[in-house]
Amino acid sequence: METIYAQALWQMVEKGMKPKEVVMKLRESLENRGRVILMPKIARAFARIAEREHRKRAVTLSVAHEKDALKAEREVKKVLEELGASAEDIEVHVDDSLIGGWRLEGREWLLDASYKKSLLSIYNRATQ
Amino acid sequence: MANSVVEKIVKEIEGYAPKAKSEHAGIVTTVGDGVVAIDGLSKAVMSEVVLFEEGKGKKLADAMHPPAGGQSELYGLILNLEEDSIRAAVLGDTARVVEGMTVKSTGRVLSVPAGEELLGRVVNAMGEPIDGKGPFKKTTLMPVERQAYGVIDRRSVSVPVQTGIKAIDAMIPIGRGQRELIIGDRSTGKTTIAIDTIISQRNEPKATRPICIYVAVGQKESKTARIVEQLRQASALEYSIIVDAPASAPAALQYLAPFAGAAIGEYFMDRGKDVVVVYDDLSKQAVAYRQLSLLLRRPPGREAYPGDIFYLHSRLLERAACLSKEKGGGSLTALPIIETQDGDVSGYIPTNVISITDGQIFLVSELFNKGIRPAIDVGISVSRVGSAAQKKAMKAVAGGLKLELAQFRELEAFMQFSQDLDKATADRIASGQRMVEVLKQKNGAPIPMEMQVAILYAAGQKLFADVPVSKVTAVEARLAEFFDTECAKTLAEIKKSGVLSDELKRELNRTIEEFRLAHPELFHNDLRSR
Repeated sequence: METIYAQALWQMVEKGMKPKEVVMKLRESLENRGRVILMPKIARAFARIAEREHRKRAVTLSVAHEKDALKAEREVKKVLEELGASAEDIEVHVDDSLIGGWRLEGREWLLDASYKKSLLSIYNRATQ
Repeated sequence: MANSVVEKIVKEIEGYAPKAKSEHAGIVTTVGDGVVAIDGLSKAVMSEVVLFEEGKGKKLADAMHPPAGGQSELYGLILNLEEDSIRAAVLGDTARVVEGMTVKSTGRVLSVPAGEELLGRVVNAMGEPIDGKGPFKKTTLMPVERQAYGVIDRRSVSVPVQTGIKAIDAMIPIGRGQRELIIGDRSTGKTTIAIDTIISQRNEPKATRPICIYVAVGQKESKTARIVEQLRQASALEYSIIVDAPASAPAALQYLAPFAGAAIGEYFMDRGKDVVVVYDDLSKQAVAYRQLSLLLRRPPGREAYPGDIFYLHSRLLERAACLSKEKGGGSLTALPIIETQDGDVSGYIPTNVISITDGQIFLVSELFNKGIRPAIDVGISVSRVGSAAQKKAMKAVAGGLKLELAQFRELEAFMQFSQDLDKATADRIASGQRMVEVLKQKNGAPIPMEMQVAILYAAGQKLFADVPVSKVTAVEARLAEFFDTECAKTLAEIKKSGVLSDELKRELNRTIEEFRLAHPELFHNDLRSR
């Protein structure tokens, strides 16, 4: 039940309604139906939806060294433009196993320009 | 090395920038019991193979080496496309998959390698060799799921599959392209019939010899190893392929193995060859599919099997075909095996497969325990299309045999309650008892068609009427030896023409008479031995 309310809440916010207004309307509706007790559960379900949606949109950029982050971000933006994709906020992680280069992960796609991948593909081609 | 060269190499490495290519990917959200849920991969298609990226976060040296004894790459098979996520079965060790792992689309539906190189080899459900004889060099990928040939592409069954088993070739003949079910309780000789059929193919001319594929589903590894050894010793491995999905394999591989066997068979069928595929057994495949379906949260139906369990078997067995000349004239004969519980053929899966196939060979524990082997219940065993493929010579000697045996079984039951039998009934029972003995056969010793014809002809001529029942099998063996040495030409003629002409009958009669004269000591029947 609370998930359905939370989904409705999320859709209303998505459509551009002000959060304060949305919460007021929800409270009114719950009071009329005698379900105010659901409010904390709806809040938790809403947080879960928000986190899931954030994860869907999140783009993670992994670099081998912190000093490479800026250069990698510039390259990534260029690549994303070429692909016709956009990334509002890019989370940067340091993953030293990449050796060099960068790796960009979205919900539906993956761009791997790391040295590790290149070396692995050379190794696999040579051994298989 | 000159400094200039070293500098150049260092410069090259420093200036190296790997190019990124966008890949369609998703993330594992849950994993357990061989099934994973994946977020993303919204463009994935049903039955698509996905690749689990195990190297993420691992050091290069660790990523280079797969886990000991494992496949180098871990794949999954998409089985459920849901609104928000997809579910896939892991085609390997589930312990290698972790939550948050990246899953990449491969853009291809599941295929297995097929080719001449597979002959004599043992492969898993993915078509990878597991017999330690090294990888395949040149193979063709065949889709595991494929639409069966349509009506126009097929022709009627007309050539027999010689099983080498007298009772089957005479009474329940199987044609090339037919689907004949072998059904019975555990330990009634189902696998033996299938293996004898494979071994029997060595009697066929090389040009028309069927390729045999044995698919072991949920079997003990020791049993499969024994079968491989048996085929090797019988020189049958050279034209056989073993697809093994043992009981220890994930349910997904047990479910896929019969389809992999069919796909490999289709490779040869498409090239105009005849193929015999043994699915041992489909009950275990159904159980594996039930497990997988329940884990995929598909709604359970009768006996908790999913609603499409009939379709699972029908689409597999429909791939058995006898192709038209325009399509190359190849054939794929399916010999599915079903294990019943306590002789109950009215179970869900047995009735399904009985209705799909073109007949069944029903094996009975009671007969098996009596020493009647193969323990075929002639009364309910049937081949719906095989008689069209039966050789004329065999038809001539086997006509009426089924009826005679069925009548004998009825009289045999009646005999237990009555001591005073009229002469006609007593004769019929005596004849039936001897025929049962004649049809007994050791496992691993298939008999060529022409020899079967000669023995059944001799039985039809009442040669065994004067032989004590307990000695019929021994006399039959002596007779077979005699035929081999004394009338090889006649046997060769029967094999060549497939017809039992009057002249050949005369020759056989002469040989039978010679045998009777040469071994008078074998023909002293007395009432006690009746």
